[in-house]
Amino acid sequence: MIEYVVRRILSGLIVLFLLSTFLFFVMRAVPGDVVRLQLADAGSVTDERMAEMEAELGLDRPALAQYASWLGGVVRGDLGDSLWERRPVTEMIIERFPVTFELAFLSIVVAVGLGIVTGVASAIRRGTVTDDGLRVASVLGLSVPNFFLALLMITSASVWFNWVAPLSYRRPWDDLGVNLQQMAMPAIALGVSVAAAIARLTRSSMLEVLGSDYIRTVRAKGASSRLVNYKHALRNSLIPILTLIGLQFGALLGGTVILESIFGLPGVGSMIFRAVEQRDYPVIQAGAILYGTIFVAVNIAVDITYGLIDPRIRRS
Amino acid sequence: MNTPTTPTDDLPSGSGPDRPPDTAADRSPAGGSTITEATEPGDGERQTPEQVALGRRQRFAESFRQFRSDHLMGFLFGIVILLLLLVAIAAPIIATHDPSAIPRPPQKLAPPSTDHFFGTDQLGRDIFSRVVYGARTSLIVATATVIISTILGTLLGAVSGYLGGWVDLVIQRIVDAVLSIPVLILALFIASLLGASITNVVLALSIIYIPRFSRIARGEMLRIRSAEYVTAAEALGAKPSRIIFKHGVPNLVAPIIVLASLTFGQAIVAEAALSFLGVGAPITEPSWGRMLSTSREFMTVAWWSVVFPGAALSLGVLAFNLFGDALRDHLDPKLVR
Repeated sequence: MIEYVVRRILSGLIVLFLLSTFLFFVMRAVPGDVVRLQLADAGSVTDERMAEMEAELGLDRPALAQYASWLGGVVRGDLGDSLWERRPVTEMIIERFPVTFELAFLSIVVAVGLGIVTGVASAIRRGTVTDDGLRVASVLGLSVPNFFLALLMITSASVWFNWVAPLSYRRPWDDLGVNLQQMAMPAIALGVSVAAAIARLTRSSMLEVLGSDYIRTVRAKGASSRLVNYKHALRNSLIPILTLIGLQFGALLGGTVILESIFGLPGVGSMIFRAVEQRDYPVIQAGAILYGTIFVAVNIAVDITYGLIDPRIRRS
Repeated sequence: MNTPTTPTDDLPSGSGPDRPPDTAADRSPAGGSTITEATEPGDGERQTPEQVALGRRQRFAESFRQFRSDHLMGFLFGIVILLLLLVAIAAPIIATHDPSAIPRPPQKLAPPSTDHFFGTDQLGRDIFSRVVYGARTSLIVATATVIISTILGTLLGAVSGYLGGWVDLVIQRIVDAVLSIPVLILALFIASLLGASITNVVLALSIIYIPRFSRIARGEMLRIRSAEYVTAAEALGAKPSRIIFKHGVPNLVAPIIVLASLTFGQAIVAEAALSFLGVGAPITEPSWGRMLSTSREFMTVAWWSVVFPGAALSLGVLAFNLFGDALRDHLDPKLVR
């Protein structure tokens, strides 16, 4: 088991290394220069100013030298400085990460809660109107893009209930009430599609387990249907659901970019979006590495949890 | 109104479950050729070509009937997909106004009426016509992306799986790297680096989706490589290229088609998301995603400017999801999602 985890982490590191190397060179190979953008922003673009600024930012050195010093920094935990804000990227991430983490966490809570409840309800009422209704709802939830759902939620809340989330962002430890009001809609909009995927999977794997021989045995022994449904069937259905959460986590992280922009949340997602527009290379690279790391880490965690839930996997 | 005959003629003969939905647009309604192409798997070399064609035709018709009766929902949404394709192709006929024309005097944010079915946007442009043309943008991007990533991804995976060794190792690490970063993030990077244009969106999305196809194709190829008929072919001295194309690829078709139809829906969402963020389709092309992002400031006063493009987008995704699901159950019930 330990050997397996170590191997996974090593291959994850290789993957992240490849990814960042790729981004490093691609971003420097493609036009749309950060220096030109900044000077245009300031008003005048002259050749002397450009050369001056390139030297200032260290962009005049050969790409390989830049790469070497960047990589050296990364190994020491220094992700470089933002070319626009002129301060360490690490600092920016530490500032903004809690927002994204809270959003991702809340939407996973929404997704798992809503998804499992819906899936179980659907499975134990198989073939009824409830089941049909819930299945239609899941398919819809899976198909409506999160940014459209977000717009619908904002519009209907403001038109029908005359409610608008407080505008300036508050941290949860400063004002939890305001914070949750601001987080509720993006978290739901982001969580719904994952919830729908979980509901569908829960339903099908519950049904599969409910049709198996050992469940028949448990029933024959006279166990109550509650015991059968929750203790035996649901627990055994959790493994595929866990895999699904690991896989869907990537979509969820991607969704933070668009939802943080819509709801004006100062998280890592909106930082990456702005950095991309401004060609702020170090920020983009750091963002990619951060999201890549989270995604890889979540999937390793999922694999480890498997072993804990199902001893058969641990042994093999 | 002479275009509608194309899809209706096409429907009973060709648009069955064995065919990727994306090719329906660019294929002529020559019934016979569609069937042969659809079930290409090159087996049974001892039969005459006519017998093969007949056998395929029967098997295909049988499979199609089965699909229609077992997966009515998927079948109906298959028709929805064809209708969307029809709308995209016949956009100039269906649209009631020029999608980019700003009338004088402009009727800004006019509610839905008999003149403007879906109302008008903040510049006074007709939303119905823009939604119709948006279908074109959306389906062109999705179709091109799916075709490119299916072909390249399958080839890459098949070659990688068959050859093994360091080629396989290198390709798989790259595949892992691409798969380990969230789709939208990577698409955002690539599309914004290249600039907003239809071609660049297709390029960005293809780079992202190729690894998925190659992973599936590689897995299947590993299985096929150890099959007895491949060992036999190798013993007879078949070249690697012959084994890959003659024995490998035809056996990969089922899982790849399923993945392609599901990727279609995802590509539609991804294009809309990129356009929403302003790095997708250029401003000159009506796109559902961009319509949503430009209208969002006005949505409380003009719900129609957000609801109709969003509904069109959701319908497109829904149709491909349900059709893809049904296709998966039909072609291989055991396939994992």
